[in-house]
Amino acid sequence: MKEGTPHSGGVPGFFTGLSMPIATHVADPGNDRSRIDARNDALFRGILRVCALLVLAALLGAALSTLWGGREVLFGDGWHFLASSQWNPVENRYGAWAPIYGTLVTSLIAIVIAVPLSFGIALCLTEVAPLWLRTPVATAIELLAAIPSIIYGMWGLFVFVPFMAAHVDPMLDSTLGRLPFVGALFRGPPLGLGLLTAGIVLAIMIVPFISSVMREVFQTVPARLKESAYALGSTTWEVVWDIVLPYTRQAVIGGIFLGLGRALGETMAVTFVLGNAYDLSASLLMPGTSISSSIANEFNEAVGLHRSALIALGFLLFVVTFVVLLIARRMLRSLKRKEGNA
Amino acid sequence: MSANVYRRRYAKNVVAQALASAAALLALMFLAWILWVTVSRGVQAIGVSLFTKITAYADQGGLANAIIGSLIIDAMAIALCAPVGVLAGAYLAEYARGTRMGETIRFLNDILLSAPSIVLGLFVYVIVVLPMTAATNGSITFSALAGSIALALIGLPVIVRTTDEMLQLVPSTLREAALSLGIPQWKLTVQVLMRAAGSGILTGVLLALARLAGETAPLLFTAFGNNYTALSPLAKMASLPAAIYQYTNDPNPAMHAIAWAGALLITLFVLALSLIARAVFARQKTSHE
Amino acid sequence: MNDLATAVQSVLQQPADATRVKIAVRGLDFHYHDIHAVRNIHMDISERKVTAIIGPSGCGKSTLLRVFNRIYAIYPKQRADGAVLLDGENILDPGYSLNRLRSKVGMVFQKPVPFPMTIYENVAYGIRHHETLSRPRMDERVEQALRAAALWDEVKDKMKKSALGLSGGQQQRLCIARGIALRPQVLLLDEPTSALDPIATGRIEQLIEELKKDYTIVIVTHNMQQAARVSDETAFMYMGELIEFGNTEKIFTKPDKKQTEDYITGRFG
Repeated sequence: MKEGTPHSGGVPGFFTGLSMPIATHVADPGNDRSRIDARNDALFRGILRVCALLVLAALLGAALSTLWGGREVLFGDGWHFLASSQWNPVENRYGAWAPIYGTLVTSLIAIVIAVPLSFGIALCLTEVAPLWLRTPVATAIELLAAIPSIIYGMWGLFVFVPFMAAHVDPMLDSTLGRLPFVGALFRGPPLGLGLLTAGIVLAIMIVPFISSVMREVFQTVPARLKESAYALGSTTWEVVWDIVLPYTRQAVIGGIFLGLGRALGETMAVTFVLGNAYDLSASLLMPGTSISSSIANEFNEAVGLHRSALIALGFLLFVVTFVVLLIARRMLRSLKRKEGNA
Repeated sequence: MSANVYRRRYAKNVVAQALASAAALLALMFLAWILWVTVSRGVQAIGVSLFTKITAYADQGGLANAIIGSLIIDAMAIALCAPVGVLAGAYLAEYARGTRMGETIRFLNDILLSAPSIVLGLFVYVIVVLPMTAATNGSITFSALAGSIALALIGLPVIVRTTDEMLQLVPSTLREAALSLGIPQWKLTVQVLMRAAGSGILTGVLLALARLAGETAPLLFTAFGNNYTALSPLAKMASLPAAIYQYTNDPNPAMHAIAWAGALLITLFVLALSLIARAVFARQKTSHE
Repeated sequence: MNDLATAVQSVLQQPADATRVKIAVRGLDFHYHDIHAVRNIHMDISERKVTAIIGPSGCGKSTLLRVFNRIYAIYPKQRADGAVLLDGENILDPGYSLNRLRSKVGMVFQKPVPFPMTIYENVAYGIRHHETLSRPRMDERVEQALRAAALWDEVKDKMKKSALGLSGGQQQRLCIARGIALRPQVLLLDEPTSALDPIATGRIEQLIEELKKDYTIVIVTHNMQQAARVSDETAFMYMGELIEFGNTEKIFTKPDKKQTEDYITGRFG
């Protein structure tokens, strides 16, 4: 376009007499532009990087700030804090065992109920239900995950607790409660409240997470694999149990851990239905407490060491869920990443 | 003999399929049950006073201050997390693809996505409420600002992830086309790619709003609550979820009725947002064929 | 500097010719990751001619084209060595600004990729980055570009509409308009009609014929008839190497190399 004097760099004389034109430009306007662009690009990249690092800062900050807030109890009482089941604000003595126990037991109940249920749902939505029904049903089940947890709590307290007290608790007490050994788990007055009720409510909450992961990984099984099993005369159940499940085992376990992580950290759904008792009881029908519900219930009235103990509980919860979610994400890593956050 | 084996396998299959369908039905039943209870009990207490009277009147009052508080806190939370989340997602998709740093942040973001919200509330309590109390000698303690920061931390990972995924869906030829015109990468990202992924990114923001609007636990010790209408971001502020929590814990059944009305409002808001988000997302998908 | 010196040496050995050489490729090698995708290419691309690059898929023809505006540089682990002289300057020299290169060398891709903007904005967007023009001047430039791309009559009444509503062929001509709006000297076309129907393809080929009066055009195509129809010179590549390069008519009627003959007669690939 613009013809100018020969390029000052290079070796001008060298080109003379060639079919090749001589390098042409005086000042390169593109160079100024490039410099400005490069500067803006670097600036933009820097801003973006800072934003991305905020994610890291949030996690690190959550861990460090709860560690700091709970330092008096965590470093003052050490192992005693973890092992003692005594939680006494009057005497200012705090042991975390009862809430830890409650958190673990309710989450375990939730997993025991939610895993087979989710597997059934995934099986139904990938192999059994007619095609036109699959998407609407899947969407509806994912909506369960969108309902705010406090709604689960209210429904649990006002509807499900009376239901448990009237129908389920007495039935369990008179059947499973009679058995030797395991019977102790199901014996007790029909309070409705308690570890079992909380576990069931948690199970309903985590079903959409686990089932949508399972459904999605089941769909990743290559059709030829399933077809060749069907060709041998396998039934649907045999194909799922012998082919699909082993093929997707890792991601399925990842999905279960994801649900477990949710159950461990859930607050509002369990706070109303746990009963908030620091007594340790063998029975699942008896009230208990959990880490998150202790914090939610007591934090605003707590001062001094009590508050420190609650923050220390928060630290424990964070560490445990972090580890569980870390395992979950590692196992799900290979998978296309999108499970029910809708 | 073989007919026997066949019959057993067949029966097993039928039972398994029936149980699987029953599982799906059970989940749907619980959804219907919870929604039905919320709607039927909520509707009974919905009236004019719910929107005009404040919580200070207790069972004679409404939730006006809590509704206003929720709108303010949620709006501030989205204003905080949407720009940060979109830029962080753009970093992952456009600048950190395939790098170790990008993979690490993506991984940690997924963990933050399911981190317990109550711990995020404690985090904000320690880094915002406590220093603010110390700095002002106790005249400012809990605040709407602290509440919105806590909620922003809950919305952030949703936006980061959706933006990241949506930008990755944009065909790379669009990047090449813009770069081949000499457009620098930052302009390309902001003016071309974000526009191309626009409705997808919007989906993420809507989902984040749906997620954080229903959160209760982190608000209890950040925004706290207020029986009167507060508008200042530095004041204690009522919010719908916190008011519902408080009313549910009250022994008075009239308070429970108001709590159900509030629960219905939140549920409608959150479910509507999720459904809109799904619709917007469906549109995004079709625009990439 | 050594690379450039060798390149210049090899230029000296080229016989003088009447047509001006626009792009001179000297000893070009291209790697992605560990794959040696293009090997030791030497070729001269003449100004205001259409040069076609043909060959079976995976032969490196698109890769070669993508070196000419350094678009490969946006991907990590891709590397070009050797020299590509545009008007005598080595564009692979990191000192050669990308802005200048891309304002001189436009590119059109296999699939039409309009920006998610109005038709007008699609054309104006690139110009705006390189020049500051008044509104009427910009309108004029946009119209010129659209006319040159033989699209003006079809879109002049819907300039404010989204470009995504155009047909595939129209979108591809819009992309050509967008490229020539920057007034480049070279236009790179990477299989520009492979996603289009025969009628749209015909229009694009006609357009190429028109554009060669003003631009140096390099087109990569897997369609041999197309290469024969539109190009003046043809390069045949196979497994990353330039097998034969010369006048299109000669390549298609009596090629020097056996491999070229096998390919154009359809005996392999």
